[in-house]
Amino acid sequence: MAELTADTVPIRIHRRGMPRWTMAWPALAWWTVFFIVPLLWIVVYSFGSRPGAEAPGPVALETLSFDNYRQALSEIFFRVFQITMRTAGLGTILCALFGFPVAYAIAMHVPARWRSILVFLLIVPYWTSFLLRTFAWRIILAPQGTLSDVLQALGILSRPLLILDSNAAVQLGIVYNYLPVMILPIYVALERIDTSLIRASMDLGAGPLRTFLQVTLPLAMPGLLGGLVLTFILAAGDYVVPTILGGTKGLMVGNLIATQILASQNLPLGSAMAVMLIGLLAGVLILAGFVLFVLQRLLKLARGAPL
Amino acid sequence: MTPTINRQPANPGRRLLLAWMVAIFVFLYLPIIVIIIYSFNGGRNLYVWTEWSTHWYGVAIDNPRALSALYVSIRTALINAVIAVAFGVFAGIALARRKGAWTVPYLGLIFVILGIPELVSAIGQMIWFDRLGIFDGITRLSIGHSLFNVAVVALIVRARAEGLGETLEHAAADLGARPWRSFIDITLPLMFPAVLAGLLLSFTFSFDDVIISLFVQRPGTSTFPIYILSAMKAGLKGDVAALAVMMLIVSMIGIAIAAWLIARGGRGRTLGGLLG
Repeated sequence: MAELTADTVPIRIHRRGMPRWTMAWPALAWWTVFFIVPLLWIVVYSFGSRPGAEAPGPVALETLSFDNYRQALSEIFFRVFQITMRTAGLGTILCALFGFPVAYAIAMHVPARWRSILVFLLIVPYWTSFLLRTFAWRIILAPQGTLSDVLQALGILSRPLLILDSNAAVQLGIVYNYLPVMILPIYVALERIDTSLIRASMDLGAGPLRTFLQVTLPLAMPGLLGGLVLTFILAAGDYVVPTILGGTKGLMVGNLIATQILASQNLPLGSAMAVMLIGLLAGVLILAGFVLFVLQRLLKLARGAPL
Repeated sequence: MTPTINRQPANPGRRLLLAWMVAIFVFLYLPIIVIIIYSFNGGRNLYVWTEWSTHWYGVAIDNPRALSALYVSIRTALINAVIAVAFGVFAGIALARRKGAWTVPYLGLIFVILGIPELVSAIGQMIWFDRLGIFDGITRLSIGHSLFNVAVVALIVRARAEGLGETLEHAAADLGARPWRSFIDITLPLMFPAVLAGLLLSFTFSFDDVIISLFVQRPGTSTFPIYILSAMKAGLKGDVAALAVMMLIVSMIGIAIAAWLIARGGRGRTLGGLLG
């Protein structure tokens, strides 16, 4: 018999009786019944139609059609969709520009014992009430508020601050709320970098800029890409920020879908919009995965090639 | 001197970088500080600062609708946290200790649950709960909130189990303990900090939730954040800010303890992994 290594022991013990992953079944059952099944219902409802006046229930499923999708592609929805993609896209880029230096500073320029405290400080506001942090911006940006008064007193503004209830306010709210989502994955990637690689690059005569571009940045790429994708997905599906800061001029897809369902009682159309949103986000995710794959390939090629 | 400081020599670029970092941290905390300060604004208009006063806290506490919403929120958060831990702990241990071909798709599902726009998941749940028609308001809310939190607890427990390694379980097996014995006496107690963190996080996430609650709630069982949202839409007054600050303090304490518990076990990386 082969010798017992640390790895073979537990396998031998666990093999008796039930399959290895039995303990993971209850959660899977829970998610299947209350997460996967509901998602499938959205897809089904998206092909239904609004019931007639006397019919019961929120949806008629006798005749299924693509009508809701056709209606969802109407001009208004398409425009809001465009605005949403622009707001989420610009927000993601701004988060990356603002967030990368922060992640870099925490990972490379802060003593080790401070790092976990800073990560902690980064996460606490993100995990606490989204609603209230967004709401607080209404106080900061109010036309009669302190910031507005100060800017006018300094002569920077000639009239009260009028940024609330616009797309600009939504943009600010998005950047504010999702900045930690961008910083953390980048930080995790940077923190894992073996610093001897950076030192080696410097020793071999590459300047700080070249070292950053050719060593640090490629190694941080998985984290950066993760942050970009996550921020974009969360921002594109946001509902709270445009509701609180956007007013009627700062609408995003989230508001449009919620309005269809909660106010207009048009569940089928709302469902079709939700399916389209998910489809688009899945497309972004696949594209990001493809980009990462290509980048890694290129990196390998570049490393293998003689300079 | 720690080696970190020697990574790169001190230079103006480094100082600029650290100044930027501090500025971003100020930016992140600015709204929280502002809302706390303005909740003590005694004036009739929340936005225009007049004087320090605790007037609006008195008004806020003397509000039966807010209190009943608070009661709904606390009950929901508790039931949701129990569900999240009950399912999440076993899933997390299985993910760390019983790795196999199933792990990758299972983790994939977890990331879909964590990454999907909450709005979409909320719509699906509303449809499904309405079709089933068997749950009361609190049950709908608790189940709705628990789906995300089961995934959160599973990831926290998995990180803790992987961080600890299996040495102690092996020792127990070598000493003749049966698998279930070592599971109950060794594995579960070792998971305690992760379970506690998961419990606190699940409670807070549920307590703060807006979107799921907005869709799955029934008339009469509005949660506290939904009450605050509707009060905000109706026009902001000092009492809403006061309520908001009280809610913020509760959730920040919960989050801070949970984050500390997780960070102690996983050295910051777990925290990053949870978000990223």
